Order: sequence, then structure tokens, then C-alpha cells
Amino acid sequence: MASTVIGTGITIEGEITSDDDVVVAGTVRGKLSAKEGITIEQGAIVEADVVGGSLIVGGSLTGNVTASERVDLQSGARVVGNVKAGRVTIADGAQFKGNVDMEV
Amino acid sequence: MAANVTVIGPTARVRGRLSGVANLEVLGFVEGEITVDGDVTVDSHGMVGANVHGRRVVVRGAVRGDLVAAEAIVLEEGARVVGDVTAPRIAIAEGAFLRGQIQTADENAPETSSGRAQVVSRPQSSAAVRVSSAPQKERAVVAAAPKPVPKVEGPALTPVNPIRLPSPANNAPAPRRPPPPVVPAMKKLKGQMLKKKER
Repeated sequence: MASTVIGTGITIEGEITSDDDVVVAGTVRGKLSAKEGITIEQGAIVEADVVGGSLIVGGSLTGNVTASERVDLQSGARVVGNVKAGRVTIADGAQFKGNVDMEV
Repeated sequence: MAANVTVIGPTARVRGRLSGVANLEVLGFVEGEITVDGDVTVDSHGMVGANVHGRRVVVRGAVRGDLVAAEAIVLEEGARVVGDVTAPRIAIAEGAFLRGQIQTADENAPETSSGRAQVVSRPQSSAAVRVSSAPQKERAVVAAAPKPVPKVEGPALTPVNPIRLPSPANNAPAPRRPPPPVVPAMKKLKGQMLKKKER
């Protein structure tokens, strides 16, 4: 079980910080940061700046993303914002608007 | 399963408003406000600095803020709550710490529909509290008291017992009791038998 799960029907307006994984299936507005992985599931809405180790996006994300390892935009993802990460993958079918900054 | 339950993990900190329709489990830290149409559980390691509104609130950890539940609030062992507690039904277990006011029915209920349920459940809540603490002991004492009486007198004089049972209600027939002399008679007989044997 993931250490932190924001369920489908839940809305958090504010700041979420975690040392472990975070899975978002609901709505988050504000700021979201985790030292481990962050998963934004399909159907989730995140309007926040996201900082994490690695990020997997299947839902809607509006905000700037900073990941120390990698960012994966899955098919069906909708991302508006700048992405900064060591590795970035964008799957076919993912919508993305913003800048990509990969550490070379 | 994971999607229906929201978990704030042990290392997670949430500052802000947390709302929605889902069950919530707090293992970490939440500061701000929690308004959930669902069950809220604050784990033993959970820390909540917020007013908590839920359908059913179970606390095993620390809460600084008011607790309001549409159904019930349960403060379990290890709970540390500083704030007012309002719900139709409230249970506080031994080992729970609470500093604040308790209201088992919310007169200023925000939801009119829940008002009826709260009024109806008032006696239930008080009865539930009493049943859980005192009456069980009282019943135990009451149940224990009459049992030894028939045990002592029952085996020797079973037919007399039905006469004796109504007698405490009507004090008059009490002196009519024939059995008491019978028991000493047995003892005397035994004593005589022993004496005869000794002789």
C-alpha cells in the first residue's frame, strides 16, 4: 500500500509533503512534494507545483514539475506547465504544453 | 480499494483544506481543516491540527481541534484530543485523553436532516455509555447475589425454594419458613452420628 493516497472523492487545497510515495486519484490544489515517487492517476486533477523523485502522470496536471529522477507522461495525461527532470518520457496520446528541461 | 480510501501516510504532511466524499485515514500530519463525508480515522501516529468534520470519526492519535461527526465519534485508547467533541454518539475508551466539551447531540446542527437522528439517538447515546460502564457491573452483582442463595439452600430443599422466592416480595410469610430448622437438624444428626461413631 502506498504510504499516502489521495482518494477519488477527496480535494486538498494546500500543501502536501511526504518522504514516501504519494498517489493522487483525487484533486490537489497548491503544492505537492514527495521525496519518492508521485503518481497522478487517470481522472485525478492536480493544480499545483509538483516536486518529487519521480513522477508518473496519467491525469490532469497544471503546474510546474521538478523531478530529481524522471517524469513519465502516460497516454491520456494532460499536462500544462514546465517540466524539469533527469529523464522525461511522453507517451503517445499524452497532451503536453510547456517547456522541458532535461539535465544533460 | 485504494481509490476509495484516502491515506495520509506516516511521513506525509498536509497543510490546508482537505474535503470531499471518501474515507480518510491519517497516519501522518494534517494541519488546516478536514471536512469529509465519510469515515475519518486518525491513527496512533497521526497528528491532526484541524477541525475535523466527518460521518464517523475514530481517533487513536493526537487531535488539536474540534471534532464533529454526523454519526459517531470514538476516542480509542491512546487518543489525545484537545477540542470540543460533538456527535450523536460518542464513545471514549479507557486510556483516551480529552480536554474539551462534549456534546452528544448537536443543537446547532448544520444539517436539518441529521437533527432528527440526533434527537432520537440522545437516549441511545446516554444508555450506551451507561451500559458500557456501570450497568454491566451492577448486573453482575445482582446476578451474582441471588445465585449463592439457591446454591446454599437449593440442593437440600428444592421444593421449598418456590415458596421462599415469593416470600421476599411479601415479608409476611417469611417467619413461616420451615426449612431453616431442617438444616441444623441435619447438622445435629451428623453431629450425633459423629458422636455415636466416636463413642
